[in-house]
Amino acid sequence: MDEKKKELQEKNRKQQLLVTLLPFAALILLFVILCIVIQTKGYRLPMYLKIIFNEGVVLAIVATGATFIYTLGSFDISLGASTLFAATMGVMTYNATNSMPAMLGAIFLTAVGCSLLSSVLASVFHIPVFVTTVAMMSVLSAVSAQIITVNGGALGGISIPSAAVAPYDNMAFKITVLVLFFALCLFLFNFTKIGRRQKFLGGNPVCAKLTGIDMNKYAIIAFLIAGTGVAIGAFLTLVYTPSVTTGTAGSIGMNILVAIVFGGMPISGGPRSRIYAAVTGGFSYIILNNILKILIDSNAGYGISQIISAVFFLAVVYVTSMNYRSAYLPR
Amino acid sequence: MKKFLKMMMSLSLAFALAACGSSTPATSGDSGSTAAQPAAVSGKTVKIGVLVADVSGEEALGFRSYFENYIANNYNAEFTYTEQLTDAAGEKAAIEKFAAQGYDAIISMSDSDRATQLQTSIDNGLYYAVASGMLADEQFEQYKSNEYFVGQVGPSMDAEYEAGYEMGKYFADKGVKKVALYGAFIPNPMHVYRAAGVLAGIGATYGGASEKDAVVGQIFGDQGIDIKKVETGDVELVGYFQGFGDTTFDELFACIGAQPEAFLSVGMATTFFTQNLNDAGIEFSDIDSFTEANGEAMKNGKLVYLAGKYSSSIGPVFAAIMNAVNGTPVRDADGNAISLSQDYLVATDAASFEKYATADKGDTPIFSKDVLDTMIGAVSYDDFATAVAANRG
Repeated sequence: MDEKKKELQEKNRKQQLLVTLLPFAALILLFVILCIVIQTKGYRLPMYLKIIFNEGVVLAIVATGATFIYTLGSFDISLGASTLFAATMGVMTYNATNSMPAMLGAIFLTAVGCSLLSSVLASVFHIPVFVTTVAMMSVLSAVSAQIITVNGGALGGISIPSAAVAPYDNMAFKITVLVLFFALCLFLFNFTKIGRRQKFLGGNPVCAKLTGIDMNKYAIIAFLIAGTGVAIGAFLTLVYTPSVTTGTAGSIGMNILVAIVFGGMPISGGPRSRIYAAVTGGFSYIILNNILKILIDSNAGYGISQIISAVFFLAVVYVTSMNYRSAYLPR
Repeated sequence: MKKFLKMMMSLSLAFALAACGSSTPATSGDSGSTAAQPAAVSGKTVKIGVLVADVSGEEALGFRSYFENYIANNYNAEFTYTEQLTDAAGEKAAIEKFAAQGYDAIISMSDSDRATQLQTSIDNGLYYAVASGMLADEQFEQYKSNEYFVGQVGPSMDAEYEAGYEMGKYFADKGVKKVALYGAFIPNPMHVYRAAGVLAGIGATYGGASEKDAVVGQIFGDQGIDIKKVETGDVELVGYFQGFGDTTFDELFACIGAQPEAFLSVGMATTFFTQNLNDAGIEFSDIDSFTEANGEAMKNGKLVYLAGKYSSSIGPVFAAIMNAVNGTPVRDADGNAISLSQDYLVATDAASFEKYATADKGDTPIFSKDVLDTMIGAVSYDDFATAVAANRG
């Protein structure tokens, strides 16, 4: 009996290890494949990698902030619209004041305000948070579109002078921002009661409530952190392209979901949530997309690359779901 | 400790990307081809990246076929299209990727942020030209003297307004008393200008204004046309809708129910509504292109007015790009980039439609190799402009 138990424990340990290491292994493998493909094609590797980093950094930051919401077992579909709205308000503020601090203030206030509004509305009306985020997505997109089209006119968008953000459009700045935000989230998630209680709430909300943990309080904290991620993402979006159109950040909302799953975190949240999932998964997803775009001819490639991405996505979900089927509680 | 290691692994991989990326930043003139090594001299294929916002429309497909099937077969040029671009970041990333792949030039048919497109092309030493729409005046002024900005050839916003105006006027002159209007994808600027032109053409004012800029400004503000703000003269506007979604056909049927004598569209009606309008027996018009489907609608359906572009109308942009890559750029007397507006061709019956469609068929486009050869090489700005104006089908 003891031997059978040991065998089961060993099997479970291996399974856990596989699931934990898989996202990193996938990222490394994809990175190596990307380098080989780029070199084989004769493209400029350093330049390509810089582009891919730029594509992934906003997603990684916003998704890292959003991890706190997903850990609660909740869902925020309005993050893309929030990013658009925060960037819009940032541009409007800069154009009115010519002040970078004012622009940053407007972006942070808008992003954090929108995020908090979603969670407070959910608390007040006792409805699931994701329902309020659906409403917020529609409202924020519509308001942003109104501001952009009224002020953008024939240009189709609004912008700030590129010189205003040019000093920040470099790798050193973006890496620093990513590291600082990730370190903050890492600390909160793994080394404070905020992360522990959020995992508890996501895993078993009834039990967590019975032990005296206030769901609303931790939901608000999660949205506050996610709002901060959105604000940084909106700023970096403007740093990369100093203009905002109605399509800006349009794909972020769905990409966050994909990134978190690619990173090996269960979408249901709970104790198996991982703070590094967003960074690992975000960059894996971006790298995979770029490999497919390079390899598959653009004439027929769009549909095929989407199908391959979808198959890859399902495979990742299947492998990570092995973790959920364990006979042991997560630890 | 294990957790810490995992965090470090995830971050270090991100840094690996970043560090590799930052080791040799792109610099001006770093692309695969520069003016110092003209393609004609080196004999190498000219690689052109095409930015597109529309990948499935009839007009977009016509343009693509012209580049990929006609131009690529007749010149030492290769075209690579992007996926559908929806924002400025996507456009910038696409240009940077073309630069990383050693492309020579960019042709833009995407307009989320033309200034950033241009600046990115300049930063990466890629020649840049606009083939659909035009830069805003202030943007053109800012970049017109840059060597990498080749120029722009296509309908200006004034030309879009005129196309709408002429369409509205056509029905007003015809004695039509009741019309419905489809605003396509307002607030897309092109559609806004066309719709403003239609209102002027049927003799209507909007919010009390009749002057172009005032009407356009109000439509942008309303993000559409508020039918209550339309004051009509002899021609009554009995219905209006825009966009395409779940309620579009309900709105179309409501318009049809108002019994207009004509249905005017500023774009895409022939793609979306031809069958319904034919069935309802309502004459309709559109601003689109000379495609087979539109020819059928004009010949056997109720399409009675089409202001269209023809597929090879983007030929001059290719010629301008070739000149720039080959080291013989076409510049005006002050050394500025090309800026030429193209008007729409108008067909009002099957015969006139056939005339333009036949003139621009796949193997015998209006901007054929014979015509383009007169525009490629040491050509003056005036000669180039004359060739653009002379070849209109």
